[in-house]
Amino acid sequence: MRVRTASLPSLRDLDPRRRIRSLGFPYTSAPTPASVEPLPGPALGDRYDSDWARSPIARATRVVAQETVGRAVTTALCRPRVHNRDRMEDLEGPAVFVANHHSHLDTGLLIGSLPRPWRHEVVVAAAADYFFDTPARAAAAAWFWGAVPMERQRVSRRGALAAAELIEEGWSLAIFPEGGRSPDGWGQAHKGGAAYLAARCGVPVVPVHMDGTDLVLPKGRRRPTPHRVTVNFGAPMHRDGEDARRFSARIEATLEVLADETRSDWYSARLAAARGETPSLRGPEFSTWRRDWLLEGSRAGRPGVSSSRRSVRDRARGNDPW
Amino acid sequence: MKYEALRFEDSPTRFAAAFLASSLRPGAGGSVGPLRHRTDIDPPALPGPDWVHVTPRLSGICGSDLAALDGRSSRWFEPVVSLPFVPGHEVVADHEGRRVVLEPVLGCTARGTNPPCRPCSEGRTGNCERLEHGCVSPGMQTGFCEDTGGGWSTLMAAHPSQLHTVPDDLDDEAAVMVEPTACALHGALAAEVGRDETAAVLGGGTMGLAAIAALARWSPPRRLLVVARHPHQRRLATGLASGTEVTVVSDGEELRAARRITGSMLTGSGQHQRVAGGVDVTIDCVGSGESITSALALTRPGGRVVLIGMPSRSTLDLTPLWQREISVRGAYTYGTETLEGESVRTFELSMELVAAAGLGALVSAHYPLRRATDATSHAARAGSRGATKICFDMRDAPDTEGRP
Amino acid sequence: MSRQHEHRPRPGLVMPVDRSTPPVLMHHGEQLRLQRLPADRSRVIYPPEPLEPIEDEGAAIREALDNPIDSDPLDQRLFAGMRLTIAFDDVSLPLPPMRAPDIRQRIIEAVLDRAAAAGVDDVHLIAALALHRRMTEAELRHAVGDRVYDALAPRGQLYNHDAEDPDGMVLLGTTDHGEEVEISRRAAESDLIVYVNVNLVAMDGGWKSTATGLSGYRALRHHHNPATMTHSRSFMDRHNSELHHSNWRQGEVLRSAGVEVFQIETTLNNDLYGNGPMSVLAKREWEWTARDRAGFVATRAALDRMRPGTRRKVMHRWRAPYGLTSVQAGEVEAVHEVTTRNVYRQQLVEVEGQTDVLLFGLPYISPYNVDSILNPILVHCLGLGYFFNLYRGRPLVREGGVVIMSHPTTPEFNPVHHPSYIDFFEEVLPETTDPVEMAERFEKDYANDEWYRHLYRTGHAYHGVHPFYMWYWGAHALDHLGGVVVLGGDPATVRRLGYRPASTLDDALEIASDLVGPTPTITYFKNPPLMMADVK
Repeated sequence: MRVRTASLPSLRDLDPRRRIRSLGFPYTSAPTPASVEPLPGPALGDRYDSDWARSPIARATRVVAQETVGRAVTTALCRPRVHNRDRMEDLEGPAVFVANHHSHLDTGLLIGSLPRPWRHEVVVAAAADYFFDTPARAAAAAWFWGAVPMERQRVSRRGALAAAELIEEGWSLAIFPEGGRSPDGWGQAHKGGAAYLAARCGVPVVPVHMDGTDLVLPKGRRRPTPHRVTVNFGAPMHRDGEDARRFSARIEATLEVLADETRSDWYSARLAAARGETPSLRGPEFSTWRRDWLLEGSRAGRPGVSSSRRSVRDRARGNDPW
Repeated sequence: MKYEALRFEDSPTRFAAAFLASSLRPGAGGSVGPLRHRTDIDPPALPGPDWVHVTPRLSGICGSDLAALDGRSSRWFEPVVSLPFVPGHEVVADHEGRRVVLEPVLGCTARGTNPPCRPCSEGRTGNCERLEHGCVSPGMQTGFCEDTGGGWSTLMAAHPSQLHTVPDDLDDEAAVMVEPTACALHGALAAEVGRDETAAVLGGGTMGLAAIAALARWSPPRRLLVVARHPHQRRLATGLASGTEVTVVSDGEELRAARRITGSMLTGSGQHQRVAGGVDVTIDCVGSGESITSALALTRPGGRVVLIGMPSRSTLDLTPLWQREISVRGAYTYGTETLEGESVRTFELSMELVAAAGLGALVSAHYPLRRATDATSHAARAGSRGATKICFDMRDAPDTEGRP
Repeated sequence: MSRQHEHRPRPGLVMPVDRSTPPVLMHHGEQLRLQRLPADRSRVIYPPEPLEPIEDEGAAIREALDNPIDSDPLDQRLFAGMRLTIAFDDVSLPLPPMRAPDIRQRIIEAVLDRAAAAGVDDVHLIAALALHRRMTEAELRHAVGDRVYDALAPRGQLYNHDAEDPDGMVLLGTTDHGEEVEISRRAAESDLIVYVNVNLVAMDGGWKSTATGLSGYRALRHHHNPATMTHSRSFMDRHNSELHHSNWRQGEVLRSAGVEVFQIETTLNNDLYGNGPMSVLAKREWEWTARDRAGFVATRAALDRMRPGTRRKVMHRWRAPYGLTSVQAGEVEAVHEVTTRNVYRQQLVEVEGQTDVLLFGLPYISPYNVDSILNPILVHCLGLGYFFNLYRGRPLVREGGVVIMSHPTTPEFNPVHHPSYIDFFEEVLPETTDPVEMAERFEKDYANDEWYRHLYRTGHAYHGVHPFYMWYWGAHALDHLGGVVVLGGDPATVRRLGYRPASTLDDALEIASDLVGPTPTITYFKNPPLMMADVK
């Protein structure tokens, strides 16, 4: 018998991407010739048209995906405890769900925690510059989360107007008014969009506080660490004659009370609120090691003890734009 | 006194083998069939008082030879053939220091039958009625007769009446074309094509090309249609027909071409398409069932068809012959032609035509006798191999005993 | 995702080929090829993008009829009791056929509306097909619409032009060049001819509509001949086209014979493929999205695997979503000037300088094989007739240069549409490919052949003389070129056409270099979609 001496093909040769690249055009795209002015790219960012993601087929497949893959991931990583959904008993019709934001898991967790029918009739305001920067990412976000683009850096009302239209059509909106994930675990100042939209459309705001997702997958980390997470629903809030800016401040304050409630108990939180002693989510005004130190303390009551803390190194490694 | 020859032997097994082999591949009969290359044959005894020995220089391979080799000759010939025989009836030979071509028909003069039969006495030697009589064994021509030998050899017998001296300006290749040209010429003149008639010639082999040359020279039609399968045949046909209004097409195109040149109509479609009118006269130089069918389809009602090619056994639908009242006639060998009121021997006209039209150029290849298999297979597929006439060449044969 | 025209339609593009240029799309009959071109000496001419179509076609048509150029409004030229003849372009325009509703239908309906309002009873509609094949009922219905067809055809008032009807044609005179002028008797004896044109290329329209579309062999032979075609440089550029000069002279005779023509001309954009599955064919290769590329690979593979007949059926089923870019009406010559400008607006591409070797990829369709086979003679006509002549100024290829065209060129014919083509291929081409010689030796026979006449008048056959015209169409190119190579063509057929066959572009260029020298410059004229080179 003859022995074949040829070596096995290397893994590099088997890599399908390499193989396709070696086939060349039309299996790969062609470079734009130097002498040619390239076409304006496809409409992305806040110009992205996500209508297709609300077609019946897209909705049906999204429900399936969220209820299987989405729920499995959330359950595995967060084992969420959802409190006080009964506060939404009297809610009817669309609402604006306002939540604090620490992690990519927040969106899935929030949607998964919503009661029906809102769970499957909600769109999520997502950063136009982050989630809608390439056609593939835009399509994935629009399909899986029902995301709609929302501009958060540039002054543009395109996203807000589109969201308002959707609310008027009967969709609820989930929005993170901090405008992005927390860089250090402390909360950030709220932007006014959520209050503005609720006021404009005359729908209630439901504040939701999620505690612990920063321990699972904070900004800057790539590997999640499973950790128990608490979701706390607040009572629906209506604008009470005040302007949108004040309404926004009231929403932020309510979220802080909800956070306090999660970490102490309902009555203690009410008392602290009545005394005006509710701890701020934003953290102290200085920005040294003491901020981190105090963050640990605010959660555990004993500064600097927990071992499952994310380190400053974790955050420093992050290269996310936000 | 031995000589070299290819001899067609009386062997039923070999006949059967040839028949089988040739059904797989035309021309295959040459290798397994009754034709044997012999170098130990006794020279033919001179059958009659005037007969002489001649030594062939070139001898052509004819379609009828190939049919015999493949075991596909018509049994019609059985009484007028005597086995074993040496084939070869297209012969140019040496005789007493001069070159001669052989007029192979074994008519009354050569057989010494006296008085001659009526066709012979009228000069129509091809129609001789005494082909089984006289001093020679049965045989319609030299090359199918046991006693005379044939052209595919280094020595044969001939009657002086069969010999025509070749003028010096005609080379051997031209001379070997004289006999086949005479056949085609005879058929072409038998078609009696009028100047204002349209004519079609089917086939671009030796016969077809010679017939075209004959028509062009002596009875050009108003429009001539030539159907030839192979490109070189069409090229040669165009050249030979120069001076006449000719349309040369490939087979499969003839129906439309006939319609075009006659200004007629086509009716039906596909397999049932036919031309409503047609040419006045069609000369079939192929002689297969298909070619005769095609000839009948091309010819106008009341028109004529002349068969130069040997048809053998064919299956064909004669309805058009009946419905269109077409006359069909055969044209076999030669004799005497009447041209503008004068009687001329076909062979004399043929020599004139071969010289004038340069038909010697149709000889495409020579083979020595020992390469008989190559030669016959080349001849059987001459068209597709770009050839026309294939010859045996005995000019370089080693001097055999008895060569004068 | 649909192609979103957020940008304005871009003009044509002349792109030099370098080593990073991808292979470019090339039509190969019903098939598609990607062809890599030699770097640093080739260029590709891309057609302009489709112009924005007119949004309100109805309003544009009304405007054209109410405010015609150099003519009274149509309403004023219609009166009760008049004889009105509406002639329209046949199935050869546009290519591929237009998605319903055809622009002819919209215009004819608008004209008939007005005629009805004016009380005109005697209206005839004639498909002005000259010596082309008669249109089938389905084709007529597509062109004029069911409403018009059902109203007029059963009464015998809608029919195909018949140039061989001995009683149907009338000789109106002779030009000062001795050219006879003969048109349909019905048209000539009408009080008004309304001619509805689709001006797909710059050749169409003007006096060529009436003087050619409604005439016959007797008049056509004066300009459809080798001498005229050799001196039409090009026949897409009216002012340098002997063909058009002759037609204009014949038009002059028509005018002085009192024939009244109200000319309506339309121009279309070159949107052949729309946004559907074929849209990739109109895109530039580096702009192909992943979906385009996947679609292309699948389409190409599918087409390559189909039997030729199926492939042909698939391709000929395509209807193009053209958009109307202009409609103008009135006096023939004035209208035609405006039309030509509009055609140029869509089709002209400025090209600097000539080339040694000009490359075409011939598509599956030409004006003469709608729902039929692009036979070898039409390959000649499409390549050397149409594509070669799509220039203004100078030919794209230099004198003595070489044209390479990519097409399978199989000896296939449609016996119903092209009976005389088959005979032309079998009888004439083996004898000669020289237009002048074939005109002298064969043309008359074919033109007067009873059978062809019969098939032209009763069947759907092109006239007997038509293959000659197809060959003359390439006369200027044959005169100008040093040689023609057919890429991927059937060798025997290609040789019969008088060209050289080549199986690869490298071979073709090797053959070409015998004629134009080593390392020739190459220009690939990436047509379709239609364009016209403005060669400086």
